[in-house]
Amino acid sequence: MRDGITIGKMLVLAGLLLMQGCAAPQPSPDLLAPTEAQTKLRSFQSRTFDVADRKVAMRGVIAALQDLGFIIERANEPLGLVTAARFAEPDNRSVVGVTVTVRPQADGRTMVRANAIFNNTPIDDPKVYQNFFATLARSLFINKEE
Amino acid sequence: MPVPRTPYSGFLPTGFMLAVCFLLQGCPSPYEMRHENQWDSREQIGMAEASQVKLRAAQSRVFDTSDSRRILVAVVSTMQDLNFKVQVLDEELGVVSGKLLMSFERPYYPDLYYNLYDDQSLLLFSKNYRMWGPFWHRSDLVRLTVTVRKRNEKQSVVRASLQFYLQAVENPEPYQRFFQTIEKSLFLEGHPVQGPG
Repeated sequence: MRDGITIGKMLVLAGLLLMQGCAAPQPSPDLLAPTEAQTKLRSFQSRTFDVADRKVAMRGVIAALQDLGFIIERANEPLGLVTAARFAEPDNRSVVGVTVTVRPQADGRTMVRANAIFNNTPIDDPKVYQNFFATLARSLFINKEE
Repeated sequence: MPVPRTPYSGFLPTGFMLAVCFLLQGCPSPYEMRHENQWDSREQIGMAEASQVKLRAAQSRVFDTSDSRRILVAVVSTMQDLNFKVQVLDEELGVVSGKLLMSFERPYYPDLYYNLYDDQSLLLFSKNYRMWGPFWHRSDLVRLTVTVRKRNEKQSVVRASLQFYLQAVENPEPYQRFFQTIEKSLFLEGHPVQGPG
């Protein structure tokens, strides 16, 4: 009789073990709502430039991405969107994807916002964005000179 | 002291093993069990239209502006906040689509193909390896499509559809939060679609 109970318990345990990991993940209600941290990151990712023409700013962004070794995937001029990707150091087994938006401001300047993703982790290091904007400032300056 | 043997004591481990084998027989892997197989297409056809109407209402909001570009810019900006990668953007058609990888089935080893996976393409090439897609990690893709269309001279309808773990999301909550963010960024209040949309 005791053995019967033990078998029952073991079967239940085996069943539970089998069921483990069988439930599909469910989307959280906040999946499409940016968190506070994501909104904070926006300030590092944005910079305003003294360029009035969106087309000029877009060309500057594309040139800066080329300087940094990215391959442009999509560019949409009317809506000011550029997406690009490149393999990342050290072993080139990783991929960095970047999305840049260009938005003319009311004061005649242009705001550029970039966000970068390393594999599937968002990059939140401000230095990366500073580096991108320094390259962009140079590229806009060179474009102006030419 | 030796344990007295009962007539069943030899049978127990064998019986238990048999029961476990029986349970495992034909048992799909946990990965397969997490996904639903729709074997019978009639099930899909038979899905109630009422639920589709309800879903569409949850996914749609009316905004008091006919400036579709302004809405599209707000949507792209929100998708950037959410770390979605914009893949489709067409102002004329009023459509934005993007993807986000969330690690549910992520391999435990460095797999370049995981990060390179392109759901738009059927074939994946590399220097020494080629593979036919789609691969099984595709369930990690969260995909979002937002459409913007003119409702009348003063209003636009925005509709979002979200795919999570290979399934369309029917829970209205994520959509509500999404529209709240869009409202904030547009400084406009959205209304539910009522009457002919």
